[in-house]
Amino acid sequence: MQFEFLQSLDTIEIAGGLTLLSLFIGGIIMGVGIIIARTVRLLFSKYYAPKLPQDSAKNFGKLIYFGIILISFLVFTSTTGVDFSGLLIAGGIFGIVIGFATQSVVSNLISGIFLMIEKPAKQGDKIDIPGSDISGTLLDINTFSVRVKRFDGTIIRIPNESFFTSNIRSLSSTPVRRSEAIVGIAYKEDIDGAISVIEKQIRKSMPFVLILPKPEFRIKELADSSVNIEILVWHPRDDWDQVGPHLLKVAKKALDQAGIEIPFPQRVIWQAKE
Amino acid sequence: MSDTNSESSFSNYGIYTIKDNIEFLLPNVTIKIEKIGDHVFSYLRRDAEDNIVKKIIPTSSSELTIELSPIRPLNYPARRAVHVYLDLETPIFLSEGSAASVFVLCPIEIGIFLVHEGHKDSLDWIDCEPLNSRFCLYGSPESGTLCKHASSEIVESYDDSIPFINGVLKIDIKNDLDKGLTISKIVFPITDNSVYYKNSKAIFDSLKAVLKKKLTLEILDVNSESIETDWVKSPTYERVESIKRVDMGVD
Repeated sequence: MQFEFLQSLDTIEIAGGLTLLSLFIGGIIMGVGIIIARTVRLLFSKYYAPKLPQDSAKNFGKLIYFGIILISFLVFTSTTGVDFSGLLIAGGIFGIVIGFATQSVVSNLISGIFLMIEKPAKQGDKIDIPGSDISGTLLDINTFSVRVKRFDGTIIRIPNESFFTSNIRSLSSTPVRRSEAIVGIAYKEDIDGAISVIEKQIRKSMPFVLILPKPEFRIKELADSSVNIEILVWHPRDDWDQVGPHLLKVAKKALDQAGIEIPFPQRVIWQAKE
Repeated sequence: MSDTNSESSFSNYGIYTIKDNIEFLLPNVTIKIEKIGDHVFSYLRRDAEDNIVKKIIPTSSSELTIELSPIRPLNYPARRAVHVYLDLETPIFLSEGSAASVFVLCPIEIGIFLVHEGHKDSLDWIDCEPLNSRFCLYGSPESGTLCKHASSEIVESYDDSIPFINGVLKIDIKNDLDKGLTISKIVFPITDNSVYYKNSKAIFDSLKAVLKKKLTLEILDVNSESIETDWVKSPTYERVESIKRVDMGVD
């Protein structure tokens, strides 16, 4: 009875030699393929992915999944004996049209592939894109875009193409980072004395500032109203928030305590006699 | 009460069984533990700058047992490094083929561990000299190793440990090079070195440092070695999976 039913399906032709039976078999093949793909991806993510870097594991997972589905599709087409040559020609023309229309999508896809190969930054890295207001933690690199969690807690999505062509400043690839601040003292003040009190205050109140390399002090500028001292300190890469935003405060506190003047801009105007 | 320590007069490291209350007076730090309920104790730590840490400790019995012990100096200001950079105040000169054993001071922190049913859980830790607890970098900013910095003085023996501030570390140094060299710093992963205590003094497992050639480079190869001692071994809590090996170049 069932056999007769299948035979009857074989007689119903849909298009170009494609019968209802072959479509039915194809459906089974695709279904089995999807089940296998999901199972293999599950096994991969359970047993092998933890040993790989997070982003590589994710990409391998996708590759395995879609690879098995593609193989299933090829098996399906070969078993049905359908001639897809006409479809391929039509697809080719359609592809060119679509290609023009989806240029940016393809560009993002290709950029995504290159990002995965080049790996300018990896998942979890802290990055900064100079010239834009984007800085934060790289969450993931996907097929078309990357996601960055900014330091203000918001998440920003950047198309792969613009991320790939941007300058990317990695804040996580070195063990230490340097923070800078500029503070001005009055011309009458002793420069060495000012540097000494700032250095002592940094040592006392900034536990994340490294002892080696030592904090560095440079005369940045003999400016209109002040001698500007640049303070450069090194700290562990993840502790910028404990150092960078506090450096000026610490310097000012040290100068205030030592009675060293931080001048405000002054201009002496000489009035000519009539 | 433990067999060696008195609840009323703190002076040493050790295991304390607290029935009512206890106060530990350490350099710049005071710790007060009080019973506030049948099975509840309060823990209060106050430092020289009046920073206060307070915790409530529920217990299964009416007593609280804690262990006060020296630990590796890796917690303050934050757990970032596993290496210690011993900056020797007096450099050591070793002539060709010579060897020496020196005792140096190495900073410690103090761990407070809750002892229950055979387990020791880290309750708190303190640094009695936080101003001297700073990081430094060994190597270049691009690829160097973040270390805890320690200005280290050479001392005569294990007895020279400074209570609650410094432990003593023995270093056996050997020069296998064909020239004399001065050693002014030693960088090593301190997670390999256990800490031991007796009364209020602390010592570390020793180090073996060999000046030798590795290919064309002259290096100071530093390895830790367990010591045989009757001092009490401090509990550990760090779980360090892999430590980057640092080959120290010589000056």
